[in-house]
Amino acid sequence: MRPSIVSLEVNGSHRDLLVPPGATLLAALRDGLGLTATRKGCETGSCGACTVLVDGDPVMSCLCLAEPLDGADVETLEGVATGAGDLHPIQQAFVDGFATQCGFCTPGMIMAAKALIARNADPSREDVVVAISGNVCRCTGYEAIIEAVLAAAAEMRAAAPSSRAA
Amino acid sequence: MLAAVCTPATLADAIAILADDAGALLVGGGTTTVPTINRGTPFTRAVSLSRLRAPLCGVGFDGETVTIGALTPLAALEREPGLAFLHAALAAVGSPTLRSTATIGGNFFVGEPYGDVACALIALAATATVIGPEGEEIITAESLAADGLGRARILTALSFRLPPAGGWRFRKAARRALNAASIVTVAAVVTEAGGVVASARIALSGATRRPKRSPAAEAALIGRRLDAESAAAAGTAALADAEPFDDEVASAWYRARVLPVHVRRALVGA
Repeated sequence: MRPSIVSLEVNGSHRDLLVPPGATLLAALRDGLGLTATRKGCETGSCGACTVLVDGDPVMSCLCLAEPLDGADVETLEGVATGAGDLHPIQQAFVDGFATQCGFCTPGMIMAAKALIARNADPSREDVVVAISGNVCRCTGYEAIIEAVLAAAAEMRAAAPSSRAA
Repeated sequence: MLAAVCTPATLADAIAILADDAGALLVGGGTTTVPTINRGTPFTRAVSLSRLRAPLCGVGFDGETVTIGALTPLAALEREPGLAFLHAALAAVGSPTLRSTATIGGNFFVGEPYGDVACALIALAATATVIGPEGEEIITAESLAADGLGRARILTALSFRLPPAGGWRFRKAARRALNAASIVTVAAVVTEAGGVVASARIALSGATRRPKRSPAAEAALIGRRLDAESAAAAGTAALADAEPFDDEVASAWYRARVLPVHVRRALVGA
């Protein structure tokens, strides 16, 4: 079995990596690039712990073969922080709102939330519930997560350029 | 175990590979095929349609007729204003994340009880365009759901007429409001004339072995006023076409018990 070279833009950086035949994007990220924030939970698309963004859309990376994604733009949790040691507003909201306990679902939850807010800057509670409906959490009971996503969306709206006073 | 993944540039290339290699597995959106790869598959080569998004994705409207590329993700269809009536059926499948990659065509090849969109398309009398070594063929969505496709045949598009205003019905009963497999799914297109039902197409999923129509339920409505009484009659009649089964979602007994209720509620809302 011969590995293939797959080229991806991962968190803003061009990466070329060798993947074995049939490797998923999840395996490529974790095993090929050492980006282990994206979790391997069920490998059937049932838990959402593997959620990343591909070309801006939230996907289950365990359901995506890596080779056909050659050239794609991939965003993982490792890439969401705004730099200089600052957490992304969604990450900070999870910390402030105690929306993470064991942390296993957290990367997938944050990526699903990021995709939601990018498409809908002012989501309702129902919008958040729908957006994370593919992400299973065993610890929190979801309410703190929902509140954190709503708080992060509000924070991001307040910080957006159009919201600043002239 | 996979030894290779190929991404053919043309449908003809994909069909040739599938025809020549009995170990080739066709991968569209991947939401049902990649888990089999993850678990260990006897197939040795995956044939991905990823380079065929241009010919196989998209929505076209020609008057009241809609044609949708089979590889179109469900999430893209949710954003299509002209398909607003179909939103409940689309949103019935998984989560937004899953729907980013799950395709409309792929829903015909999942096992029960996951065929909610196929059920909707059967009610809409959709036709399916299939391409294989012998060329192009148009088949009904009903036969596609019942029989699948033979080797080396690829579903390329689905087409249907928009339902008449007020004539569309869709209802899915599941254990959770979101991202849950079906106990019973009902889809219907009902037309009325002169105060009575002139035509009815009622499709079932979840309580059948494959998504299918219920001719018995349809016959119970024709020529009658669409009301609680006729809807209840249709619900009871639907049992003749149901094939309830046991799984982790519900028992066959339970599915049979609630099927008439959900048919009635789908038709008249109560």
